[in-house]
Amino acid sequence: MAGHPQDAGHAHAGREHVHHSHFGRYVAVLIALLVLTAITYVAAKVHLPGGWAVVVALTIAIAKGTLVALFFMHLWDQRGPNRLVFVTSLVFVALLIGLTVADNATRFPLANPPGSPRAVKPPGFAPPPEGGDRLVR
Amino acid sequence: MSETTALNRLAHHFESLDKQQQAARLGMWLFLATEVLLFAALFAGYGVYRYLYSDTFVRASRDLHTWIGGVNTVVLITSSFTVAWGLDFAARGRGDRTRLLFGASIALALVFLALKYVEYSEHFHEGQLPGRYFTYEGLGPGPGGPIFYALYYLITGLHGIHVVIGMTVLAVIGFRAGQGAYTAEYHVPVELAGLYWHLVDLIWIFVFPLIYLA
Repeated sequence: MAGHPQDAGHAHAGREHVHHSHFGRYVAVLIALLVLTAITYVAAKVHLPGGWAVVVALTIAIAKGTLVALFFMHLWDQRGPNRLVFVTSLVFVALLIGLTVADNATRFPLANPPGSPRAVKPPGFAPPPEGGDRLVR
Repeated sequence: MSETTALNRLAHHFESLDKQQQAARLGMWLFLATEVLLFAALFAGYGVYRYLYSDTFVRASRDLHTWIGGVNTVVLITSSFTVAWGLDFAARGRGDRTRLLFGASIALALVFLALKYVEYSEHFHEGQLPGRYFTYEGLGPGPGGPIFYALYYLITGLHGIHVVIGMTVLAVIGFRAGQGAYTAEYHVPVELAGLYWHLVDLIWIFVFPLIYLA
């Protein structure tokens, strides 16, 4: 590459292929991200029942994040080590968040902080209002 | 001329420019991995309290202006697109266009910060402050409200600091690109600056549903 100065402007160091514009790909990803943002916005306004709102919002966020990482950040074109580094960090994110929340979800009531729905009620605490918040106030 | 420029960029401890750039990329990805873990700790804290005080968190989230979060998402996604486009020009040796597009990204980041300022000043006015400074009445008693706002300020504040750092990086690298500091063979700083900005966007993509759409 360095020996062929006439190739300047085409040769792209670090990539195996000759550089061609990624503009079309960027536009496609931008449109997909804007559509997904619109979908998640509308889905949140509908107020899905139970835990579905969080599930839908996070699924769409993961889809958007994947598009950004693969195409804007070029993980798609990267060599193995760089992909491995980022994927490893995501494994630890899943471990950290998954295990921490699972810990809280499986505690016995005494271990929960006061005022949270799964805590033991201290004496003299008023019962929660009928059909209202699950929170003990 | 471009050949000599490319050779000058080669540090003596690297065999080839290709290896040097590959090492720079790997270093940047390692740094980004630590950034992801930094935010993951805050998201884990959010997950715990979202679980323990779910009703208060849902009501606090619905109290926020969803449209501001939505507009800011669109603004950051678009700024990521202009950064990616700027790298595309840098890879073809058009540093002047890179400067223009990085400038556009910085302008979009300013829109983001302005909207964040509108939001923050409203929170301060309403007494929606973290921890024991929380005086807002709209969420009822109980620790859920103060905890939500503590996490809200930690997550959006840390993200906001990253926006400011990213703008500074884009300004410096964009300016240098406009001066013709990079070539089609050597533009790895433009690439790494872009990676940082995309990470700022990536984090916000997860902040938006957690804070605004809970």
